Amino acid sequence: MPRLERIEYRPVPVRDLLIEMKNLSELMIDLAYSAALFDDKELAEDVLELENRVDTLAYLLEMEIMIAARDARDAEILTGVSEVAAAADKISDAAADIAAVVTQNIGVHPIVSKVFEKVEERLARAKVSQDSEFVDRKTGELDLAARMGVDIIAICRNRDWIIDPKDDEIVAVDDVLIARGAPSGIGRFKEVAGGRLHGKEI
Amino acid sequence: MPSAVDKSEEIVERFVELKDTSELMIDLAYSSLLLNSRELAEDVQTLEENVDRLHTDFELLVLSTDFKSEEARGFLGLIRLGVATEKIADAAKDIAEVVLRGIEPHPVLKLAIEEAEETVTYVQVAGNSGLVGKTLKAAKIPAETGMWVLAIRRDNRYVRPKPQTRIEAGDVLIASGYAEGEEDLKKLASHQTEF
Repeated sequence: MPRLERIEYRPVPVRDLLIEMKNLSELMIDLAYSAALFDDKELAEDVLELENRVDTLAYLLEMEIMIAARDARDAEILTGVSEVAAAADKISDAAADIAAVVTQNIGVHPIVSKVFEKVEERLARAKVSQDSEFVDRKTGELDLAARMGVDIIAICRNRDWIIDPKDDEIVAVDDVLIARGAPSGIGRFKEVAGGRLHGKEI
Repeated sequence: MPSAVDKSEEIVERFVELKDTSELMIDLAYSSLLLNSRELAEDVQTLEENVDRLHTDFELLVLSTDFKSEEARGFLGLIRLGVATEKIADAAKDIAEVVLRGIEPHPVLKLAIEEAEETVTYVQVAGNSGLVGKTLKAAKIPAETGMWVLAIRRDNRYVRPKPQTRIEAGDVLIASGYAEGEEDLKKLASHQTEF
């Protein structure tokens, strides 16, 4: 049995914990479906990693809630907060279940995945290589929506996740960019992030 | 037994409906919490019952397909996706239940949802409304009214709004936004409006 790490109490505002849990759980759903329908192992691994993070956040939140309750009235209202956090945790669990279809090599029957390849936007991840033109530029300047019909919806940097990055977020080497777009645009996006395709060729 | 190919269209259709409904429920559940809206929370409960039924139908459909043994993994994958959508729908129901318990949600929940919503409104689209036949993208409802369509109720079904979703006469638009947009949306849905 793997040993669970002890999570030490540290003060974090309940609001911040909840926002992160909500945002991560919603991102995970999108990532997980893309991973499953496009059989993308790396995306699936990201989902499983995020699931651990959400578990940690849920644990910290539970401790905060216990500390915050002073009387029966508090407990009654805070139970609602706890239930919403548990729901976000459940959503992230469901996303991990979907990702596990990929990591356990079960896969989704092509009758369904084929349809999604044609119609759906998909999410994809791309690691920024040092010779990519994305390096040291603001996400807003990249003009990805106009150039290839792609939006960056999250950045994973040193295992931290920035969700819905602002236009002035500067892309760094080794960032993992999560983007949404049509399959063709996503293909080019990956090439540019990987430094295999440059400006004029696009 | 019908083969996987014969049933593929139906399987895809059912799966998309499950996926869309469960995601719609999450949006509606958080909105119900934000607005402390019993009506929205009750919609979530109704949808949860729909999902339970849809999910059983989906599983039966998948299991009654005559698939080859080498396709078993792919079919197991479909079943697992179905189970996950059901779990997501269940989580949405849990969120809505906080509202249905009748205790004013803790203020931190509203802060966490962080959206500029003040009110939710249910508006039925009249037969002669300028919205009829337009896609949501073309209807530009957020720009015209400041209201955002969360869901469309159509013949006891709920449709998850996508840009290409076409508005039909009789649709009930469930929309949220600033209170002053409510009247504009009602006008748009009832009168023949040129824009």
